[in-house]
Amino acid sequence: MNPIGEYFPATIGARGTITVVVVLLLVALRLIRHLRARSIRKARSADISQASVNSDDNSRQLTSASRKQKSKRFQLPWARSYTAQVAGREIRERLRAKSIRIVTFMILAAVGAAVVIPVLTKAKAKTYEVGVVGPISRDTSVALAQATKATGTVARLASVVSKKTADQEVKSGKLDIAYECSAGILTNQAIAATDTSGKARLVRQLSLEIGIAEAFNEAKLSPSQIEAISRAKPVKVFSLQPPPKVTQSDRNTALLGIIVVFVMLNQYNTWTLIGVMEEKSSRVVAVLLSTIKPIQLLGGKVIGIGTVALAQAGLVIAFALALGKAVGSSLLSGTAPSMLAASLVWLLVGYAFYCWVYAAAGSMAERQDQVQTLAIPLSIPIVAAYVIALSTVSSAHPSLFTVVLGYIPLTAPLVMPVLVGIGHATWWELLVSVCISLASTVLVARFAATIYRRAVLRTRGRVRIRDVVRASNG
Amino acid sequence: MSIVDGLEVTGLSRHFGEITALDGLSFGVPTGQVIGFLGPNGAGKTTTMRAVFGLMDLESGSITWKGEPVSQHIRRKFGYMPEERGLYPGMLVGDQVEYLGRLHGMTAIDARRETLNWLDRLEIADRFDSRVDSLSHGNQQRVQLAAALVHDPELLILDEPLSGLDPTGIETIGGVLTEQARQGRGVLFSSHQLDQVEDLCESVVIIESGKLVAAGTVDDLATQGPRRLVVRVEGDRDGQWARDLSGVTISEFSRGDVRLILDNGTDSDIVLKAAMQSGKVTQFSFERRRMSEVFREAIS
Repeated sequence: MNPIGEYFPATIGARGTITVVVVLLLVALRLIRHLRARSIRKARSADISQASVNSDDNSRQLTSASRKQKSKRFQLPWARSYTAQVAGREIRERLRAKSIRIVTFMILAAVGAAVVIPVLTKAKAKTYEVGVVGPISRDTSVALAQATKATGTVARLASVVSKKTADQEVKSGKLDIAYECSAGILTNQAIAATDTSGKARLVRQLSLEIGIAEAFNEAKLSPSQIEAISRAKPVKVFSLQPPPKVTQSDRNTALLGIIVVFVMLNQYNTWTLIGVMEEKSSRVVAVLLSTIKPIQLLGGKVIGIGTVALAQAGLVIAFALALGKAVGSSLLSGTAPSMLAASLVWLLVGYAFYCWVYAAAGSMAERQDQVQTLAIPLSIPIVAAYVIALSTVSSAHPSLFTVVLGYIPLTAPLVMPVLVGIGHATWWELLVSVCISLASTVLVARFAATIYRRAVLRTRGRVRIRDVVRASNG
Repeated sequence: MSIVDGLEVTGLSRHFGEITALDGLSFGVPTGQVIGFLGPNGAGKTTTMRAVFGLMDLESGSITWKGEPVSQHIRRKFGYMPEERGLYPGMLVGDQVEYLGRLHGMTAIDARRETLNWLDRLEIADRFDSRVDSLSHGNQQRVQLAAALVHDPELLILDEPLSGLDPTGIETIGGVLTEQARQGRGVLFSSHQLDQVEDLCESVVIIESGKLVAAGTVDDLATQGPRRLVVRVEGDRDGQWARDLSGVTISEFSRGDVRLILDNGTDSDIVLKAAMQSGKVTQFSFERRRMSEVFREAIS
């Protein structure tokens, strides 16, 4: 069956999934706008009726008190807290910004491409045309069948009348490969030793298989002897430990996971840094801290951004899983969903650790250029961990140094998911690393909150950390 | 002096390196009055206001509201308008005021309703859905005042609320401050526009170098001290005739009026005679000290 034919219904499913997600998002946005507009209309009409009834200030105060009684609604105690108010504003303002919609769309597009393109490429696998000068012998057919099986390629044999014709057709591209018994295998361009393309692998394997077939013929072995040799099985290999249950697909999923964690972690950290800096530079922080505590403001900001981060990352992962299932991507098969879920956990653990550091840094800056100066040193551990994680995915053999980095909170969010992905960390090792990160987060948060409290109200240029550590508030 | 029904700051001290910002400052803000908080630049006005809101650690001193130490809970009954303003530039006006109301403990519905009330009262209701950074300076000032008033505070502390406003804005905000005091709230505001302070305030507090140098009602301060005369003599606009008079100091001369300060025991009739000998006297009257003079003499 045409592989494209198998794939086609799945593509409809993917389109359907994307359409449903987009429609749901649009409906949600519309609903939020509608509710907001209705709330404003209600408040305006109540205001007008109140103005007509209340003629003096005393009666106005009385009705204000009675309104407070009437407007009491059930809410969770936390939802009424000041931290929740700050978090709520952070969520509303983030979602209102166009930038988050654009960034989310771009991430979804990138993830969608990463899931769909390999499937499409695989579905449209090239069939190599192999020309044989003269009649096609049984040995040649068998050799080609074994070569395609070994290399995972598709090839078709065609008889060519002469060597000259074979040369012309290879040169014109009509044939990919030509074989002549006396001359060997012909390709248009020499195959480099480092070339790992399908054609290169097919040529190497085919030359080997034909060479073996020719060796059998020269040895004048009987068909039964050839068959006996062909049935040769490798001797059993014993190992002291079972093999890691890691496939290439798992590695690809781990790679996708660390790219998502890296991009999003940087994005959310930057949000925190700039958010704190903007509150300081616009001086609104003085108004806010005149009514709530610094830890309530900082905590609300961190929780608000974290909630948006969780929603955005959850959407991306759900989209990747749904799309992967719809198009039948091997990238998201087997243990991939749990690995992506683990990436989501590490994204949150990483954000929980770094957000405090970035918030403290933001409280020491007042201008955009100061933000850049502060952000670069802070991002060094993340970038280093990202590079190490990428190289570890490719080699699949982590060094002791890399394993140690998997337990250090600064690098663990990117390194530990890879160690898990390539089968070099067990569940309890993962748990230990998460616990170390969470415990460190508590200490970092306390220190960062102190820095924030002391630095955020200093508005005469950039604040230096040693001044803040030694100084008191204000 | 202990003010039970209002704000009382006692012995506030704070240094920044070698600079003394507050030096044992004490004064009170009773409810039901508009109090002007005056002082030259760097006198410690903003530092004092920030200390009331816990934005500044103090080395010593205490701040009480109706006899109770000011806590976070009590501060939520205060409204604050900082000198450098403080609004989210990209946030919508209505959302911003409502949010700040909620941070003072209001329910969502009350915060929304009071936001509409105050934006309407301050004549910017039509900017409810505008971004703050799209507003003029004067309108941003009104939004800031709405944010300070939305939760119905018992005490208003405003740092330079009139700076940069046009006469209409000054009239609107001044009217609101007076109305708030009439409704029994305490109002303390700093300003360098002394004429407006004189018009709006019942009392003033004047500080310099972190110390209290004068305090009292505007009437008391204006009538305190030596007698003051305003004399206009045709053809002598700079008061040459008064320069050699003993017991008389020329305070200032402007637009032909010469302001004189008489020492105790100086007879005003002698001054009148000296003026009449110099030329035709078109004005000769006693006057109260203007706020600018009270201020200048207090900090001199």
